[in-house]
Amino acid sequence: MKNNIIILGGGQAGIYAAREIRQNDTEANIKILGEENLLPYERPPLSKDFLLNKKNEDDLYFHSSDVLKNENIDFENISISKVDFENKKLFSKNEDIYTYDSLLISTGSDNKRLSLDNNLNDDVYYLRNLEEAKTIKEKVSDKNKITIIGGGFIGLEIASSLSQLQKKVTVIEIGNQLMGRIIPKQIADLIQKTHLENGNKIILNKQIDKITKKNGINDILLSDNSLIQTDFIIAGIGSTPSVKLFENTNLKLDNGIVTNQFCETSIKDVYAAGDVCNFYHPFYERNMRLESYQHAQNHGICAGKNIAGVKTEYNSIPWMWSDQFNLNLQLTGICDDYDEIIERGNDINNGVIYFFLKNKKIRGACGVGIMGKVGRDIRITSKLTEKNTIVDKQILSDQNQKLNKLIQKQ
Amino acid sequence: MSEENWIEVGSTDSIEEEDLIRFDHQDKTFCVYRLTDGFYATDGICTHEAVHLEDGLVMDDEIECPMHQGIFNIKSGEALSPPACEDLKTYPVKVDNDKIFIKID
Repeated sequence: MKNNIIILGGGQAGIYAAREIRQNDTEANIKILGEENLLPYERPPLSKDFLLNKKNEDDLYFHSSDVLKNENIDFENISISKVDFENKKLFSKNEDIYTYDSLLISTGSDNKRLSLDNNLNDDVYYLRNLEEAKTIKEKVSDKNKITIIGGGFIGLEIASSLSQLQKKVTVIEIGNQLMGRIIPKQIADLIQKTHLENGNKIILNKQIDKITKKNGINDILLSDNSLIQTDFIIAGIGSTPSVKLFENTNLKLDNGIVTNQFCETSIKDVYAAGDVCNFYHPFYERNMRLESYQHAQNHGICAGKNIAGVKTEYNSIPWMWSDQFNLNLQLTGICDDYDEIIERGNDINNGVIYFFLKNKKIRGACGVGIMGKVGRDIRITSKLTEKNTIVDKQILSDQNQKLNKLIQKQ
Repeated sequence: MSEENWIEVGSTDSIEEEDLIRFDHQDKTFCVYRLTDGFYATDGICTHEAVHLEDGLVMDDEIECPMHQGIFNIKSGEALSPPACEDLKTYPVKVDNDKIFIKID
């Protein structure tokens, strides 16, 4: 009998899982249920090339509808409102019933929202999906002073794009550095310098006390009583896993859906992949939740294999990037568990990388440089990390020596 | 194709094995690779976003874009891993008297 597989969530993890299942199972019925009435699309360009009009909507889709049709993968635009894990059923708002043998949850994450105590919620904009990107692009076109609340990846990428559109941009960050959740301060400071050189204003260590609006102008009062007047506010203050649907079920949740290294949840035949998971990483021997392009793709593929019966452990070394102005920032592994830091390079034009080592082995690295300058070394670093290589620190720190040498030495 | 379309890139010892060099000709950029079994050439700019592949990683028969890790087969130009999905154009290469030539159409 054909296996009925439902993928709840029509993003990157979902589509890669669907195609992987099809690679391994030509018979299964595969259906993706997506809340947006759009085929799965790439999100990274939304804050960059899409805002800058270098890419349009048609450039964003992972695959055409023909690809899905050829691979016999159904896509349905529907919002699910209830889950019955015991009887393996999902219910839509209209009480349509979807029955599955195996379920993959790839619902992604939602933006955290500012808690404002007045009617200003509609005046603060967020960017996660195509619709929101379109709204921001349209609304900022006749605005000049833009304030971005939150100095993380998304906020800074938007700040970079809007600056390139000749807007006067202010970024307000509550922490004492930009991108403080995962990026080392040394690298964050280099990025901050580039924002300042391009005319963006960066305010650190300040909280928002109050926002008021008068005659179309927003007044943002900060914790030190300073006031910022702005035409438009965008907030990028982090995300939370999209698990609301499962809150009153038996599914084990803890900062997302808890999964093992095989993408299996606490309920049999229910898998999860992508941003929504707090997954066990066997290499780092701990659970983690990641929000990145590479993770969504590879975790989706891994879940697809496991659903199709090809038992596969998820061991991918984390990797992510951010493009701001003419800089490309990349991070591999984890940079918060180390006993030694090694610096490679000191000129952003040639790339600067910090390696984070523990017991002489690389746990993670973070670098930034003019477009393309750190990618090769970061990629080699991922391979060295994965292979648990004891590295020659002299080669790591000398930009004139190629890192390939370290791989070949094995 | 006339003889003029074979353009000299440089000497064979200008590229280490499993490595590449960038070659600019007129307004185009190419990458010329030395793999274990010979020399190959492709367009020098990634098909995903306009970034030079010269800083990418060559491993086996593949070039990986330094910005977003799209991977291409150097010999066929085939896009092997997202975010790259459009193939990379390849060019014939010949070696004559320790000099590398690529044929540009």
